[in-house]
Amino acid sequence: MPRKKVIETKKLSRVFKNGDIEVHALTDIDLVIEEGEFVAIMGSSGSGKSTLLHLIGCLDRPTSGEYDLDGVRVNTLNKNELADIRNQKIGFIFQSYNLLSRTTALENVELPLVYDRTGKFSNYKELAKKALEQVGLADRIYHKTNELSGGQQQRVAIARALVNNPALILADEPTGNLDTKNSIDIADLFVKLNNEGKTIIIITHEEEIAQFAKRMIYLRDGRILTDETIKNRSTKESVLKNLEVAF
Amino acid sequence: MKQFFKLFKVAFQAINKNRSRSLLTMLGIIIGVAAVIMTISAGEGASKQVRDQISGLGSNLLMIRTKTEHRGGVNVRMGRPLDKRDYEILRKNSVWMPQISPLVGIGGQVIGPDGNKSSTVYGVSSAYFNILNRDIALGKTFTDEDVKTANKVCVIGETIHEELFSGRDPIGSKIRVNKVPLMVVGLLKAQGQGVMGQDQDDIIIAPYTTIQNRLFGGTEYNMIMASATSENTIDDAKFEATILLREAHKLLPDQEDDFEITTQLEIQEISGSVMNILTILLGAIGSISLIVGGVGIMNIMLVSVTERTREIGARLAIGARESDILTQFLIEAITLSLVGGVIGIILGIIGNQVVYKLTKFSIPTSVSSILIGFGFSVFIGVAFGYFPAKKAAKLNPIDALRYE
Repeated sequence: MPRKKVIETKKLSRVFKNGDIEVHALTDIDLVIEEGEFVAIMGSSGSGKSTLLHLIGCLDRPTSGEYDLDGVRVNTLNKNELADIRNQKIGFIFQSYNLLSRTTALENVELPLVYDRTGKFSNYKELAKKALEQVGLADRIYHKTNELSGGQQQRVAIARALVNNPALILADEPTGNLDTKNSIDIADLFVKLNNEGKTIIIITHEEEIAQFAKRMIYLRDGRILTDETIKNRSTKESVLKNLEVAF
Repeated sequence: MKQFFKLFKVAFQAINKNRSRSLLTMLGIIIGVAAVIMTISAGEGASKQVRDQISGLGSNLLMIRTKTEHRGGVNVRMGRPLDKRDYEILRKNSVWMPQISPLVGIGGQVIGPDGNKSSTVYGVSSAYFNILNRDIALGKTFTDEDVKTANKVCVIGETIHEELFSGRDPIGSKIRVNKVPLMVVGLLKAQGQGVMGQDQDDIIIAPYTTIQNRLFGGTEYNMIMASATSENTIDDAKFEATILLREAHKLLPDQEDDFEITTQLEIQEISGSVMNILTILLGAIGSISLIVGGVGIMNIMLVSVTERTREIGARLAIGARESDILTQFLIEAITLSLVGGVIGIILGIIGNQVVYKLTKFSIPTSVSSILIGFGFSVFIGVAFGYFPAKKAAKLNPIDALRYE
């Protein structure tokens, strides 16, 4: 039985117009990502990876092409429908966490549930606690964001992305603000979550982090340059071992 | 509806998390409301006090003076001075003026048992007390008999009582005005400051005959005061006095009056226009404090929304609709404005009381000042919480997230 397609794009393009100049940020992207995949999207700056993330994340609309997310045709939706889709189907993780300041971890994680309009969630607190346990922060539930380290804050952000059980977890440079040790821990957490069945896409320019994924897509000038399965995946242990050797 | 309650909770959470910013926002509104309440109340209190004092004088008062004209920088008396003949004609023939009194004033040093003071002695008839509604606190007024015999008696005001008798019972004691001893027979009830700020209790009242015969030597009056039978007959009284005096002064029909009659109503009209100017002035000050308060509120609201653009971006990214963001910010702005407004009202009322305690200048907090101050500040607070939030919520989430 074929796996469910979480993402399917056909000839997805995005053109930015700046006065008379047209910038083709993405051109004819055909991409299928199935349930349970762990994909790393790489590319240098200007390669179009952020634009692709914005399109996949329903934060932006394509200039042309089709995009189905978890069985929903999203390129024709209006602003409110896109907001609802983001809320129901996507868990975002940002480079700079974007948590509410001076607010407890628990309250931050509850936030996506506040904007849920399907009414399928009832016990926000229980769900938020469970999500925080999943990312290993069970003992930091009532800590405020400014009392947590960078790595811990990113874990809270991951818990927030998990809490409403979205079809897709989308991370934009999740380790960009973290040191090596914390970066590896976060990457390892993604592997763990993927093993539990979550579909994950991370955008990164760090090869080391990308090697944790199952599949790597390399973008250049708005087109997919390579798209291949990673044969020799990194694990936390192997990377830490290499680090020790290096020192 | 359920969504609204959830957003309500989010808004209160946000207010609570940003306590110092919330307090600053409220402070702007508190100061705005309190300042407006205090300035408007002060203006209304002042005009009310003046109005009360003028009407306290009796609204059926007439004052008859010799006509003066302003020439070359000095007031020149134009007609025949008023004297006993005019007074007798008015007193005997008038129908509409039951109470008539001459008035002669003389300034001088007044010496009492406990001190001395330069003051003014007014010579009047016993009708004076009725005309000006002045009551006696202690003793009695002098009588018509005292006037007839130019008896050396007087009635004193509270200020004289304090300074010359140190507040002791003055009845039966003597004071000396320009070396003439006058026996105190009565003490006037205190009346406080007059319309123009003069002390209405710094006064000595004696029979006009006494002043003219024993102190002054003249025969002219400064003015003749009278009261009409009622407020409605004041024009009849004025007309009657004009006819009688023209006849007494033997004026031909083509000659102008050589006297002037001022009625209390006219004085009220004049002071009314003065009070209007004062009210406009205080209104202007009030408006300035409204604008200053408004700009303050505007400022903090704009800053706080701009500062939270990234937060708005994050909320949009995880699925908040534009309307969710707007509702949240509107609830925040309304809450802060209302709470700040109520605190401002309380502070304004307390402020008025403090001013009253310190200056004895009574400021009744007016309802209109509360409505204007509260309404305007809350409007500014809500408007300037709403519009920047609307702008931010309309932003593309990507741009909002990138906002520095």
